[in-house]
Amino acid sequence: MNETRQILEDSVNRLFGDRLDWDALTRIEDSGFPRQLWDEVVDQGIHKVLASEDAGGMGAGWGEAYAVLRACGRHAVPLPVAEASIAEWLAAQAGCVLPEGVPGLLTSTLDGNAVAGDSLVLDGARTPWGREAAYLVGVAARGSAAELIVADPAGLEITAEDNLGRDPRDTLSGRARVTARHALPLPADCVRWLGALARSAQIAGGGAAGLDLALQYAAERSQFGRPLAAFQAIQHYLADLAGTVAAVDTISLAACEALDARGMASDGRNARFEIAAAKCRASEAVEKLTRLSHQVHGAIGFTYEYGLHFVTRRLWAWRAEFGGAGEWGEYLGREAVAVGGDGVWPLITA
Amino acid sequence: MTSVADKLRFEPLRLPPELDELRADVRAFLAETLAGMSVVKRSHSWESYDAEFSARLGARGWIGMTLPEQYGGHGRSALERYVVVEECLVAGAPTGFHWVADRQSGPLIVRYGTEAQKQEIVPRITQGKACFAIGMSEPNSGSDLASLRTRAERIPGGWRVNGTKIWTSNAHRANYMIALFRTDPDPNKKHAGLSQFLIDLDKTSGITPRTIQNLAGGRNFNEVAFVDAELPEDALIGREGEGWRQVTEELAFERSGPERYLSCFFLLRKLIDQVGGKASSATLARIGAQVAWATTLRNMSLSIAAKLNAGEDPALEASVVKDLGCQFEQALPGLCQELCELEPSLEGFGTEYQQVLGSLVQVAPSFSLRGGTPEIMRGIIAKGLGVR
Ligand SMILES: Cc1cc2nc3c(=O)[nH]c(=O)nc-3n(C[C@H](O)[C@H](O)[C@H](O)COP(=O)(O)OP(=O)(O)OC[C@H]3O[C@@H](n4cnc5c(N)ncnc54)[C@H](O)[C@@H]3O)c2cc1C
Repeated sequence: MNETRQILEDSVNRLFGDRLDWDALTRIEDSGFPRQLWDEVVDQGIHKVLASEDAGGMGAGWGEAYAVLRACGRHAVPLPVAEASIAEWLAAQAGCVLPEGVPGLLTSTLDGNAVAGDSLVLDGARTPWGREAAYLVGVAARGSAAELIVADPAGLEITAEDNLGRDPRDTLSGRARVTARHALPLPADCVRWLGALARSAQIAGGGAAGLDLALQYAAERSQFGRPLAAFQAIQHYLADLAGTVAAVDTISLAACEALDARGMASDGRNARFEIAAAKCRASEAVEKLTRLSHQVHGAIGFTYEYGLHFVTRRLWAWRAEFGGAGEWGEYLGREAVAVGGDGVWPLITA
Repeated sequence: MTSVADKLRFEPLRLPPELDELRADVRAFLAETLAGMSVVKRSHSWESYDAEFSARLGARGWIGMTLPEQYGGHGRSALERYVVVEECLVAGAPTGFHWVADRQSGPLIVRYGTEAQKQEIVPRITQGKACFAIGMSEPNSGSDLASLRTRAERIPGGWRVNGTKIWTSNAHRANYMIALFRTDPDPNKKHAGLSQFLIDLDKTSGITPRTIQNLAGGRNFNEVAFVDAELPEDALIGREGEGWRQVTEELAFERSGPERYLSCFFLLRKLIDQVGGKASSATLARIGAQVAWATTLRNMSLSIAAKLNAGEDPALEASVVKDLGCQFEQALPGLCQELCELEPSLEGFGTEYQQVLGSLVQVAPSFSLRGGTPEIMRGIIAKGLGVR
């Protein structure tokens, strides 16, 4: 495996594994933002794998950041690490440095009219961890080009909402002060694509956590005088689960590497193809990942006390966020029909 | 803090750009050679038997590519071979004549055969002029292959074989068979009592294949009776009692190849043309999901090819690809039926699309049988996960 990715994976898994047991995740759901853990993330630069070295980051690619994103899924990390990673990469592409603090990533493309001079007008902009944001970052369409917008959220009206994972997905409305604008050499809808990629990696991680719990439980729990793992039906669920996790893992990592190798801006066959394939497959897989990991657990998995739900509730949320199998499948379907039956294989192998 | 899922990673492989030229050559050759061939024949791809096609492919140097040059091979990499194989599958090339020889028998002979066998047989394989059958399954030994009973007894100067094989593809028209026989009847030596044999079907008497028609009317597989069939000493390939280990070695090659998810790709191509520009969003989404699956499986399969190329043994990963690939390709005919309501038809009736659909609807049940069933694959995966 890519050595940097392996090192990152080990250290990030160690940090989150130590800090985020079920008690901690429960406390965070009751008491709100885990400021101390966020500070540790910042200290270790985990959110800055994709930031340029000038911006105090690692200057690494998505192939490395994949380790962080997947670990966030695996440990149900209740922090905007994926969002911060996207923001840092955008800043690196625009050649600028972001402010300090928790970023509020604006997940929809901003209409060019929303930005005028130093004013950004938002109308119900969905923003993960918006209530905690020290600054906002988003991408605006400027004709056929794109612009990276950084703004101060002070004075905005924030409607606090959570997704099924109980992670903040707030909506922001009102007028914010723009603090920086930079030309961005990416398509204006890039946040949707990058968000889809990040969520695919998180689904791979969440699926791996569900598999681990199911394997452990099947070995510990006995019925009819045997561990559950001794029953062939259960063995087959576990095998199917493992294969499904591996498939999501493979295509999500392949999409990250494709993005490093081909970008998403060029004409013709770029990384959009793999990103769409990754989110389509990942979202479609969530049904099986959650169904089988719950089935192996019986009723205990349906309780709040047993923490399988910390990942499965997030898997259900991530399945829909940044578009599900329908949206991304339709994108790929249109590409396929556009090139025709004879062209689809050359598209896959390009 | 490792996850069990970490045991099962498929590191992406990007094929080196040098292979693009080879791919383009293969595509051009296939476009020309397959033009005008019946779509039903093409839809069966690696189960379509066409000696003439295999000879032409062999003449281009695209069979036995990885085998040593001294035996008529081409000394090329496993990844180059991978490119040729996937292009043939997607194009619906009738590769059935040389399929087994190229995939496993050629490498087996190079590894374990005698010098004389290598010199005599391997060049015929690479020219696309030798067809091989695999004699493993028996009437009472399917999934539980190691229970097989066909007996090879030592006699002066060779071996005498008695018993019955079944489901042996191409046995009625193959030149050679690689078979697994019991050489030690000791009931305590279930696996250790098995040995592999290389049989020259053109020169051996006492072997009688009886073709079994499949449900679609095709005549590919056979029941093969061995009645006092006498084999020479050097028919034993590899070591006596090592047959099970040798067969398992071949399995990673057999289970992870692109044929494990591309059997219906020809139909997917036809579906895309059939629905064309008038497809609804919902239909496009279903088609796109198949493209996403195919892309995912290709990445997994290629990742295994890279491991095999590097001399690793990804047996667990191969079982995962076989299981997932089967889920994908076996569901495709039903999906095609759902997405465009056209009756599947027999060869010669209806449109091309209906004929391809009709042919694959009928053969799809075999995808989860040949090469080992999903139930057996999942048992292997569960063992790899440590739960069995
Ligand atoms: C088109 C085609 C071509 C073939 N070509 C060849 C060939 O060239 N050479 C050759 O040797 N063989 C060949 N085969 C045979 C193939 O390998 C066998 O069909 C396969 O191994 C299954 O054996 P079986 O058919 O006897 O089924 P069985 O083993 O009897 O199985 C029947 C069902 O029971 C299930 N089952 C069996 N054991 C278990 C278990 N322990 N746990 C759970 N479920 C179980 C199976 O999964 C299956 O669903 C071919 C088969 C087909 C369909």
